[in-house]
Amino acid sequence: MKISIRDAGATKIVEIEGDVDLGTSPDLRRTLFATLLEAPKLALNLAAIRYIDSSGIATLLEVLKDSQRRNKEFVLFGLSPAVQQVFHLTHVVRIFQVFQTEEEALGSA
Amino acid sequence: MSLQLKFVMPSDPRYLPVVRGAIGPLAAAIGWDESDCRAITLALDEALANIIRHAYHSRADGLIELECRESADGLEVTLLDNGEAPDKAKICARAMACDQPGGLGTHIIKDVMDTVSYQATPAGNRFVATKRLRKTI
Repeated sequence: MKISIRDAGATKIVEIEGDVDLGTSPDLRRTLFATLLEAPKLALNLAAIRYIDSSGIATLLEVLKDSQRRNKEFVLFGLSPAVQQVFHLTHVVRIFQVFQTEEEALGSA
Repeated sequence: MSLQLKFVMPSDPRYLPVVRGAIGPLAAAIGWDESDCRAITLALDEALANIIRHAYHSRADGLIELECRESADGLEVTLLDNGEAPDKAKICARAMACDQPGGLGTHIIKDVMDTVSYQATPAGNRFVATKRLRKTI
Protein backbone atom coordinates (compact mmCIF):
# COMPACT_ATOMS: atom_id res chain seq x y z
CA MET A 1 0.00 0.00 0.00
CA LYS A 2 1.28 3.48 -0.89
CA ILE A 3 0.03 6.63 0.81
CA SER A 4 0.59 10.18 -0.41
CA ILE A 5 -0.64 13.49 0.97
CA ARG A 6 -1.17 16.82 -0.76
CA ASP A 7 -2.83 20.15 -0.02
CA ALA A 8 -5.87 21.59 -1.76
CA GLY A 9 -6.43 24.94 -0.08
CA ALA A 10 -7.23 24.25 3.56
CA THR A 11 -7.98 20.59 2.84
CA LYS A 12 -5.51 17.74 3.14
CA ILE A 13 -6.04 15.10 0.47
CA VAL A 14 -4.76 11.61 1.28
CA GLU A 15 -4.41 9.18 -1.59
CA ILE A 16 -4.04 5.43 -1.10
CA GLU A 17 -2.88 2.92 -3.66
CA GLY A 18 -2.97 -0.87 -3.33
CA ASP A 19 -4.50 -3.14 -0.70
CA VAL A 20 -5.84 -2.09 2.70
CA ASP A 21 -5.98 -5.16 4.92
CA LEU A 22 -5.03 -6.42 8.36
CA GLY A 23 -1.35 -5.95 7.54
CA THR A 24 -1.54 -2.43 6.09
CA SER A 25 -4.45 -0.74 7.87
CA PRO A 26 -2.33 0.24 10.93
CA ASP A 27 -0.16 2.41 8.62
CA LEU A 28 -3.25 4.01 7.13
CA ARG A 29 -4.66 4.61 10.62
CA ARG A 30 -1.47 6.35 11.79
CA THR A 31 -1.35 8.54 8.68
CA LEU A 32 -5.01 9.58 8.80
CA PHE A 33 -4.97 10.38 12.52
CA ALA A 34 -1.80 12.48 12.14
CA THR A 35 -3.01 14.28 9.01
CA LEU A 36 -6.37 15.10 10.59
CA LEU A 37 -4.51 17.23 13.15
CA GLU A 38 -3.01 19.38 10.39
CA ALA A 39 -6.14 20.66 8.63
CA PRO A 40 -9.83 21.40 9.24
CA LYS A 41 -10.79 18.97 6.49
CA LEU A 42 -9.43 15.62 5.33
CA ALA A 43 -10.47 14.09 2.00
CA LEU A 44 -9.52 10.48 1.28
CA ASN A 45 -9.13 9.35 -2.32
CA LEU A 46 -9.99 5.65 -2.60
CA ALA A 47 -9.86 5.43 -6.41
CA ALA A 48 -6.58 3.48 -6.53
CA ILE A 49 -7.48 0.96 -3.85
CA ARG A 50 -7.58 -2.59 -5.21
CA TYR A 51 -8.86 -4.17 -2.02
CA ILE A 52 -10.17 -3.10 1.37
CA ASP A 53 -11.24 -5.37 4.23
CA SER A 54 -13.12 -4.79 7.47
CA SER A 55 -9.97 -3.59 9.26
CA GLY A 56 -9.74 -0.83 6.64
CA ILE A 57 -13.39 0.07 7.10
CA ALA A 58 -12.91 0.04 10.89
CA THR A 59 -9.98 2.43 10.46
CA LEU A 60 -12.17 4.83 8.46
CA LEU A 61 -14.87 4.66 11.15
CA GLU A 62 -12.31 5.48 13.84
CA VAL A 63 -11.04 8.47 11.87
CA LEU A 64 -14.60 9.67 11.25
CA LYS A 65 -15.36 9.57 14.98
CA ASP A 66 -12.11 11.40 15.76
CA SER A 67 -12.94 14.06 13.17
CA GLN A 68 -16.37 14.57 14.73
CA ARG A 69 -14.82 14.88 18.20
CA ARG A 70 -12.41 17.51 16.87
CA ASN A 71 -15.14 19.33 14.92
CA LYS A 72 -13.37 18.60 11.64
CA GLU A 73 -14.57 17.19 8.34
CA PHE A 74 -13.64 13.76 6.94
CA VAL A 75 -14.92 12.90 3.47
CA LEU A 76 -14.31 10.08 0.98
CA PHE A 77 -14.24 10.11 -2.81
CA GLY A 78 -13.43 7.92 -5.81
CA LEU A 79 -14.90 4.65 -4.57
CA SER A 80 -14.44 1.89 -7.15
CA PRO A 81 -17.17 -0.77 -7.55
CA ALA A 82 -14.98 -3.18 -5.50
CA VAL A 83 -14.69 -0.70 -2.62
CA GLN A 84 -18.39 0.21 -2.84
CA GLN A 85 -19.24 -3.48 -2.51
CA VAL A 86 -17.35 -3.69 0.80
CA PHE A 87 -19.07 -0.51 2.05
CA HIS A 88 -22.44 -2.09 1.28
CA LEU A 89 -21.51 -5.44 2.85
CA THR A 90 -20.48 -3.66 6.05
CA HIS A 91 -23.56 -1.40 5.99
CA VAL A 92 -21.48 1.75 6.50
CA VAL A 93 -22.13 3.55 3.22
CA ARG A 94 -24.59 6.01 4.80
CA ILE A 95 -22.34 6.75 7.76
CA PHE A 96 -19.71 8.52 5.64
CA GLN A 97 -19.87 11.56 3.37
CA VAL A 98 -19.03 9.94 0.02
CA PHE A 99 -18.45 11.83 -3.24
CA GLN A 100 -17.68 10.69 -6.75
CA THR A 101 -14.99 13.22 -7.59
CA GLU A 102 -12.33 15.26 -5.82
CA GLU A 103 -14.03 18.45 -6.98
CA GLU A 104 -17.30 17.41 -5.32
CA ALA A 105 -15.47 16.32 -2.16
CA LEU A 106 -13.65 19.65 -1.90
CA GLY A 107 -16.85 21.61 -2.44
CA SER A 108 -18.77 19.75 0.26
CA ALA A 109 -18.07 22.07 3.20
CA MET B 1 -12.29 -33.76 -11.32
CA SER B 2 -13.44 -31.18 -8.81
CA LEU B 3 -11.29 -28.13 -8.15
CA GLN B 4 -9.35 -28.08 -4.92
CA LEU B 5 -6.85 -25.77 -3.26
CA LYS B 6 -4.81 -26.32 -0.10
CA PHE B 7 -2.57 -23.89 1.75
CA VAL B 8 -0.67 -23.97 5.00
CA MET B 9 0.18 -20.39 5.89
CA PRO B 10 1.79 -18.70 8.88
CA SER B 11 -0.51 -16.45 10.91
CA ASP B 12 1.23 -13.46 9.34
CA PRO B 13 -0.90 -10.82 7.57
CA ARG B 14 1.73 -10.54 4.82
CA TYR B 15 0.44 -13.86 3.47
CA LEU B 16 -3.15 -12.64 3.14
CA PRO B 17 -2.63 -11.11 -0.36
CA VAL B 18 -1.11 -14.42 -1.50
CA VAL B 19 -4.22 -16.34 -0.47
CA ARG B 20 -6.55 -13.66 -1.87
CA GLY B 21 -4.72 -13.99 -5.17
CA ALA B 22 -5.73 -17.65 -5.36
CA ILE B 23 -9.30 -17.58 -3.99
CA GLY B 24 -10.79 -15.21 -6.56
CA PRO B 25 -9.59 -17.20 -9.59
CA LEU B 26 -10.75 -20.45 -7.97
CA ALA B 27 -14.23 -19.01 -7.39
CA ALA B 28 -14.26 -17.78 -11.00
CA ALA B 29 -13.25 -21.23 -12.24
CA ILE B 30 -16.17 -22.77 -10.31
CA GLY B 31 -18.53 -20.32 -11.99
CA TRP B 32 -19.14 -17.19 -9.93
CA ASP B 33 -19.18 -13.74 -11.50
CA GLU B 34 -16.70 -10.99 -10.67
CA SER B 35 -18.79 -9.47 -7.88
CA ASP B 36 -19.36 -12.83 -6.16
CA CYS B 37 -15.67 -13.72 -6.53
CA ARG B 38 -14.75 -10.47 -4.76
CA ALA B 39 -17.26 -11.18 -2.00
CA ILE B 40 -16.04 -14.77 -1.49
CA THR B 41 -12.43 -13.58 -1.42
CA LEU B 42 -13.34 -10.92 1.16
CA ALA B 43 -15.23 -13.40 3.36
CA LEU B 44 -12.34 -15.88 3.44
CA ASP B 45 -9.81 -13.10 4.00
CA GLU B 46 -11.92 -11.95 6.96
CA ALA B 47 -12.00 -15.49 8.37
CA LEU B 48 -8.20 -15.73 8.10
CA ALA B 49 -7.78 -12.26 9.64
CA ASN B 50 -10.01 -13.29 12.56
CA ILE B 51 -7.81 -16.31 13.21
CA ILE B 52 -4.67 -14.15 13.12
CA ARG B 53 -6.17 -11.51 15.45
CA HIS B 54 -8.27 -13.55 17.85
CA ALA B 55 -6.95 -17.14 17.84
CA TYR B 56 -3.25 -16.24 17.59
CA HIS B 57 -3.51 -12.73 19.13
CA SER B 58 -1.56 -11.26 16.19
CA ARG B 59 1.38 -13.61 16.71
CA ALA B 60 2.91 -14.44 13.32
CA ASP B 61 4.28 -17.88 14.24
CA GLY B 62 1.01 -19.84 14.27
CA LEU B 63 -0.12 -22.03 11.41
CA ILE B 64 -3.39 -21.93 9.50
CA GLU B 65 -4.50 -24.72 7.17
CA LEU B 66 -6.88 -23.67 4.45
CA GLU B 67 -8.70 -26.01 2.12
CA CYS B 68 -11.08 -24.86 -0.61
CA ARG B 69 -12.97 -27.60 -2.40
CA GLU B 70 -15.47 -27.48 -5.21
CA SER B 71 -18.55 -29.31 -3.97
CA ALA B 72 -21.54 -30.69 -5.85
CA ASP B 73 -23.34 -27.36 -5.56
CA GLY B 74 -20.60 -24.81 -5.04
CA LEU B 75 -17.67 -24.27 -2.69
CA GLU B 76 -16.70 -25.61 0.73
CA VAL B 77 -13.92 -23.94 2.70
CA THR B 78 -12.27 -25.35 5.81
CA LEU B 79 -9.81 -23.47 8.02
CA LEU B 80 -7.94 -25.13 10.84
CA ASP B 81 -5.81 -23.42 13.48
CA ASN B 82 -4.27 -24.25 16.86
CA GLY B 83 -4.85 -20.90 18.53
CA GLU B 84 -7.34 -19.90 21.19
CA ALA B 85 -10.85 -21.18 20.54
CA PRO B 86 -13.35 -18.52 19.40
CA ASP B 87 -15.85 -17.18 21.90
CA LYS B 88 -19.15 -17.98 20.19
CA ALA B 89 -20.94 -15.32 22.24
CA LYS B 90 -18.81 -12.63 20.58
CA ILE B 91 -19.30 -13.82 16.99
CA CYS B 92 -21.64 -11.41 15.16
CA ALA B 93 -22.41 -9.61 18.44
CA ARG B 94 -22.08 -6.19 16.81
CA ALA B 95 -25.18 -4.43 15.51
CA MET B 96 -24.91 -3.56 11.83
CA ALA B 97 -25.25 -0.03 10.37
CA CYS B 98 -23.68 1.51 13.46
CA ASP B 99 -20.48 3.54 13.61
CA GLN B 100 -18.57 1.17 15.89
CA PRO B 101 -15.43 -0.15 14.21
CA GLY B 102 -15.23 -3.70 15.67
CA GLY B 103 -16.86 -6.96 14.61
CA LEU B 104 -17.48 -6.19 10.95
CA GLY B 105 -15.63 -9.23 9.62
CA THR B 106 -17.89 -11.92 11.06
CA HIS B 107 -20.94 -10.17 9.61
CA ILE B 108 -19.31 -10.12 6.18
CA ILE B 109 -18.58 -13.85 6.42
CA LYS B 110 -22.15 -14.60 7.47
CA ASP B 111 -23.67 -12.39 4.76
CA VAL B 112 -21.53 -13.72 1.92
CA MET B 113 -21.42 -17.44 2.72
CA ASP B 114 -24.52 -19.65 2.92
CA THR B 115 -23.44 -21.71 5.92
CA VAL B 116 -20.78 -21.01 8.54
CA SER B 117 -19.74 -23.15 11.49
CA TYR B 118 -17.08 -22.93 14.20
CA GLN B 119 -16.01 -26.02 16.09
CA ALA B 120 -13.28 -26.81 18.62
CA THR B 121 -11.84 -30.24 17.73
CA PRO B 122 -8.86 -32.27 19.00
CA ALA B 123 -7.05 -31.19 15.82
CA GLY B 124 -7.70 -27.50 16.52
CA ASN B 125 -10.30 -24.85 15.80
CA ARG B 126 -12.22 -25.76 12.70
CA PHE B 127 -14.08 -23.18 10.62
CA VAL B 128 -16.22 -24.49 7.78
CA ALA B 129 -18.15 -22.29 5.35
CA THR B 130 -20.03 -23.17 2.21
CA LYS B 131 -21.50 -21.20 -0.66
CA ARG B 132 -23.89 -22.54 -3.25
CA LEU B 133 -23.53 -21.63 -6.88
CA ARG B 134 -26.92 -20.54 -8.15
CA LYS B 135 -26.89 -21.41 -11.82
CA THR B 136 -28.94 -19.27 -14.19
CA ILE B 137 -30.40 -20.94 -17.26
